Amino acid sequence: MLASVARRLLSMLVTLLGVSVIIFLVLRLLPGNAVTAQMGVSAGLLSHAQRVALDHYYGVGEPFFRQYVSWLGSMLTGNLGVSLSSRTSVASLVGAALPVTLELAIASMVIGELIGVLFGVFGSLRPRGVVDNAGQGVALVGLGVPSFVIGTGLVTFLASSFHYFPSSRAFAGLFFNPWLNLQQIFFPALTLGLGVGAAIMRTTRAAMLEVVSTGFARTARGKGLSKFVVTWKHLFLGALVPVVTMSGIQLGYLLGGTVVVEQIFVLPGLGRLLVNSISNRDFPVVQSVTLIFAAGFIVVNMLTDMLYTLIDPRTRAR
Amino acid sequence: MKIARTAALLTVAGLAPLAAMATPLTAGIEPAQAAPTMAASGATVVVADTSSVQKLDPDVVTNFLDFQALGLIYDQLVQYNSKLQLVPDLATSWSYSNGGKVLTFQLRHGVHFDDGSLFTSADVVASLQRAVNPKTGDASASFLANVKTIVAAGPYAVKFLLSRPDTSVLNGLTSVNLSIMPTKAIAAGTLAKQPDGTGPFEFVSWSPGNSFVMQANPHYWGGKVKIGEVKVETIPSEQSIASAVEAGTVQVGLLTQPQVADHLPKSVRVDKVLDLTYRALMLQDRKGPLANLDNRLAIACAVDRQQVLEDSVFGQGQVVGPVPLGPFASKPVSAVCPAPNLASAKRYLKKAGDPNGFSFTAMTSTALDPTSSAQATVAQANLAKVGIKMHIQNLAGDAYIQDWLKGKFQAAFAWNGADPNPYTMYGRYFGTGANLGVPAGYGSAQLEKLLLQGDTATSAGAQRATWAQFSRALTSQAVWIWLFTAYDYAAVSPTVHGFSLQPTNSTSLYSLRTATVS
Repeated sequence: MLASVARRLLSMLVTLLGVSVIIFLVLRLLPGNAVTAQMGVSAGLLSHAQRVALDHYYGVGEPFFRQYVSWLGSMLTGNLGVSLSSRTSVASLVGAALPVTLELAIASMVIGELIGVLFGVFGSLRPRGVVDNAGQGVALVGLGVPSFVIGTGLVTFLASSFHYFPSSRAFAGLFFNPWLNLQQIFFPALTLGLGVGAAIMRTTRAAMLEVVSTGFARTARGKGLSKFVVTWKHLFLGALVPVVTMSGIQLGYLLGGTVVVEQIFVLPGLGRLLVNSISNRDFPVVQSVTLIFAAGFIVVNMLTDMLYTLIDPRTRAR
Repeated sequence: MKIARTAALLTVAGLAPLAAMATPLTAGIEPAQAAPTMAASGATVVVADTSSVQKLDPDVVTNFLDFQALGLIYDQLVQYNSKLQLVPDLATSWSYSNGGKVLTFQLRHGVHFDDGSLFTSADVVASLQRAVNPKTGDASASFLANVKTIVAAGPYAVKFLLSRPDTSVLNGLTSVNLSIMPTKAIAAGTLAKQPDGTGPFEFVSWSPGNSFVMQANPHYWGGKVKIGEVKVETIPSEQSIASAVEAGTVQVGLLTQPQVADHLPKSVRVDKVLDLTYRALMLQDRKGPLANLDNRLAIACAVDRQQVLEDSVFGQGQVVGPVPLGPFASKPVSAVCPAPNLASAKRYLKKAGDPNGFSFTAMTSTALDPTSSAQATVAQANLAKVGIKMHIQNLAGDAYIQDWLKGKFQAAFAWNGADPNPYTMYGRYFGTGANLGVPAGYGSAQLEKLLLQGDTATSAGAQRATWAQFSRALTSQAVWIWLFTAYDYAAVSPTVHGFSLQPTNSTSLYSLRTATVS
């Protein structure tokens, strides 16, 4: 087990190194640089002496390799650098935004799991019944309607009908003002959770339908176990592996996929930081945030794989 | 917040959304147009914009919201009023002498910076010397190109020694980029993190990408500021800004999209003002068919500017000529074809030797101007009526900027900044040694002469005559095709009184210095 974890950690480091090279190169291939990104066409108003001074200030024209080594060296020492745009430390920007995105991703996952597992399990027990049809409807909306449409619709409806838009107030930390924080997180989490729930619901339903007719299910029922025990201890546990896989994939996507919803619901998370930084060609911030997204995805995948060994004894044996 | 809190989140996240769901919606609802919260010395006004404050150093800001927010903290020597006339700010009066080569400002007495230091002429000299220092990178330093030296003439007077008579320097001095800062803070190098001005509000805090907070300056020279605190919040979508104003969490929402402003409920006041920027189709005289004057004139006559305005911003604006607003506004908007005239367009094409038309490419960037694609589509249809084929090339923002700066285009749909003074607007494009001569795509001795003549003219009558001639020269040569200027909007809560937008983007929030909140 430990050797497997060590192997995975090593491969994670190699993957992150590869990701860092790709991010670095892709950003430099984009047209423009930090000076024109900051100033727009006003950059044309600069005198030659001003331009030289600003190029030096923003590190424009430095050899790529030197820039990369310098950035990587800083990353390895935990120093994420300084934002070119705001001149504040990248670590402080990321430190403020990361908890918001994590909270949103986790809340979305919880909502998605509740929707997906409950509809998936109960729908599979009586296919084409009322619950199953309702679940299919929810899945259709969750998969078919883009999150920006659901989000914008929610914001407009709540604001015009109830004069209610808690996210438009300054973001409140969970421990600073828990009640306001929950109101600010709930609706964006619901918007994202619908999509997550739809995917999990379909996976759960399909996996449940597969195990419901297996021998161990018949044995459990034949033993006279209660319906609750049969459903949750035997059937659901038997169907759990694909559900965990799908949940892991969804959580990975959520960590990097909150950009649009953060914009609509005015949440100061990593997605919003990334969008602002890309438009400002704020390379140190873009590189750090992208690397964090990549690391998040890899860690979630690793944890998912490790969960298999807890859920399925056969995996442990292998 | 620390990363450690995520562990706690894992345990509570399962319950939190349920708790919120279980509670009736109304429990957390604030009443519409909720009374703003009270800061230490008055009400708080929350201003929302899709952009965010990106920098704190007034010398290097280029973003509109940075200008607007820092414009409430800093003062300049002179400023525009709502009629775009120059009025005193930190200078109480000014006069030219020595044949227009010396400009003397008398300064306001008894003004203090936020750090408590007294404002004197030394601060003016230090601030403007900082602006022209190449290491600062102040794009507005070009407004001081004709200023040889700035010297103090006593504690409350400064003299600008000019290389030639220059009236537009006054207009340039209205820029937030040429704000007056305390000598002490300039020497200490703290202005990028701690703004320190003489304006109606003082800096409190800044969360990059999210919010910028100011409080009333109790020592403001212009009288008591009635609003206690101004919070500038970033709300990335205009629809969300409108919702926040409806919900009462935002008191002033800055908008540009007419369709959003139109759908606000009647309880929200919508203030609108013609913005001092303009849209134009810039043409490169230097290459291809557009180097032929008659072909450019054919374009000028074929394009229906009113239709471009209608289709791109729902008619919410005004068709304009080279000088859109202010005392020297162009009338008529074009010397050749003030209204579309297809017969004239065909005549010009015949004269150019292209009776069946010609083709060219115009670049747009919907990333920089969301309406540019609609403008281009209408112009394309208009031009097709006389056989001119215009290809549209939509570029990403940075690609557009790079090509624009290098003049690597035949034609470009552009959204340019303007000024009441035509020299300030066009000296950079068509003046002698203009910084933006390459993207301007046109140069002539006549334009250079008229620009110099207008900038050095001292009487109002001579200025008006010269600038009218300048507008005629630009449009009769179809240097570019000037299209329209659009409205800016503010959704204002009924609790805010006395707030009105200003035509200059950088001073949009200016009226907050005198506004009140009920």
